[in-house]
Amino acid sequence: MFKLALKNTLFYKGRSTATAVLTFASTILFILYISLTNGSHNAILENSLKIYTGAIEIYHKDYRDIGGNEYLIQNVKAITDKLAKIEAIEAYSTRYETYGLLSNKEHSAASMVAGIEPEKEKILSSLESALTEGAFLDKNSANCVYMGIELAKKLKLGIGDEVAFIGSASDGSFAADIFRVCATFKTGSFEFDSSSSFIARSYFDELMYAKNRASYITIKLKNIDDAEKVNSQIITIIDDENLESLTWKTLMRNMVESMEVDAVFGYISLSLFMVVIFFVIMIYGFINVSSRIKGFGVLRCIGLSKRNIFSILFYEILILSILATVLATPIAAYICYYYSINPIVIEGIADIYKDYGIVLNEIPFDFNLFTIGWNLGVIYLLNFLSILYPYMYINSFGPFEATRHV
Amino acid sequence: MIKLQNVNKYFYRGEPREVHALRDINLIIEAGEFTLFRGPSGCGKTTLLNVIGALDSCDSGEIFLQEREITALSEGERTNLRLHEMGFVFQAYNLIPVLNVEENIGFVMRLRGFSDSDIKKRVLEVATLLEIDNKLKSLPNALSGGQQQRVAVARAVAAKPKIILADEPTANLDSKNSEILIGMMRELNEREEISILFASHDELIMRSVTRIVTLIDGAVADDYKQ
Repeated sequence: MFKLALKNTLFYKGRSTATAVLTFASTILFILYISLTNGSHNAILENSLKIYTGAIEIYHKDYRDIGGNEYLIQNVKAITDKLAKIEAIEAYSTRYETYGLLSNKEHSAASMVAGIEPEKEKILSSLESALTEGAFLDKNSANCVYMGIELAKKLKLGIGDEVAFIGSASDGSFAADIFRVCATFKTGSFEFDSSSSFIARSYFDELMYAKNRASYITIKLKNIDDAEKVNSQIITIIDDENLESLTWKTLMRNMVESMEVDAVFGYISLSLFMVVIFFVIMIYGFINVSSRIKGFGVLRCIGLSKRNIFSILFYEILILSILATVLATPIAAYICYYYSINPIVIEGIADIYKDYGIVLNEIPFDFNLFTIGWNLGVIYLLNFLSILYPYMYINSFGPFEATRHV
Repeated sequence: MIKLQNVNKYFYRGEPREVHALRDINLIIEAGEFTLFRGPSGCGKTTLLNVIGALDSCDSGEIFLQEREITALSEGERTNLRLHEMGFVFQAYNLIPVLNVEENIGFVMRLRGFSDSDIKKRVLEVATLLEIDNKLKSLPNALSGGQQQRVAVARAVAAKPKIILADEPTANLDSKNSEILIGMMRELNEREEISILFASHDELIMRSVTRIVTLIDGAVADDYKQ
């Protein structure tokens, strides 16, 4: 049957070429589309994780839902000592976050003001690399504030300007101080840049009465794919039912969900395209089969079973699919690989989509052999499905009836 | 031996237009007979050939091939029966266009699992007998009508079936090629002891066969040996 199918594919050149070309094009487009979607999602996620959110963060239970000083982590050092023993953790840092009012003579704005450990943040986040003017914080920065560029614009502040802070300390008392703008940053995330400012913890802890306390502990992993595994390890080691350790998937649930929604809509659009491809291949197959009904009838008369007929159709589509995918896959894989290393740059795209977490003008592709593998599986499946209707059409004729088909 | 008992076949072309294609057919065809079913168009000769060849079913009656009742077989069993016991020759040759002459002749043998060497030997033997041994590597579309029909006969006979059913095999051939073909089929009939059943109204075939069954309106009107 295979030999006959092979000869058929060589004999019916028009149909074979059309099917192979369609399969070739759909394979390339499918692999590239999935690679682009995954690549851009990964980039959004990676950038978001790079900016500020850790792969894993440890909170006191209810801090994220209710908030307030009673849900701060106490005795932070005891926890960080335990974290230091976990091999998979690259770095960790404690943060004390509060919300307060920043004001100068004419303007005021609410802002997240966070006490950070500057040296550790250099490893953990992209805060330092987001510097636009001035100098990044260090442990001796005292009342220096490192301010998001959009917030500085809102408050009409420049480097060296003073800004008043009013907030609530960790014990509930009133906290106020005068900060000096030492530097500004721009991560590209508009929301973050317009509502965040940072102070070195060494100074801020005194003001907020927050020594050995933290809003949370943020953790960077050597390999982000190990997040779930390490998280389980952390929960075991900490062994404190008042604390919760959460991975980025939970911390960035909204972003993950929006990416999933985006992916679903993407798949829907793509599936419409694939349906068109499927029907075109099926119609070509159907036309071809229709013109060969007589031939199939003869084969049935002389003793080929329905299974044999299905085998012929199956082998024909298999041969064409293999031919098309063998040519298309290396091309598509190379394009994915190339653009995963050298992302496509579209000037201005980050500004247009800044609200969606796009912080760079680069659109990287994702090069993943497993993804390419399941993409090929889908293509093969669609091609195999495309022979079912022609096969049923052949069987709607009796053997002799088919030999007289015109 | 083929035995038909009270075989009836109806075609339904929308109620109440029922066509009684075969009426109470009772026939016994002995092994090795060279038989013609003749009659005017629409008399049921092709239908009779089809029900004997397990290509179509009858509505009542029984058909036996040797002692085996073929009317009771499932579709898969009928397919298997056609593969192992029968050969077919069609009016329009119906060769497989993508296979060359050698592959076409050996196709049924290959389906039946003969070895390559057996296939090659038998194909050459039959092709020589039918004088197409010099065309073995040609594709069907490179052959004349007469040659194509000889290939079709070779394909039908190569796997040594018990019966060959030939539906108007000479209808597309000129008289010279018809004569050659029928002569060759007669020789095969004698040499290989294969029963050959024709459905035709070709005078040439009528003169060559040993038995003529005349059908009129689906019923046997005459049956004689010559």
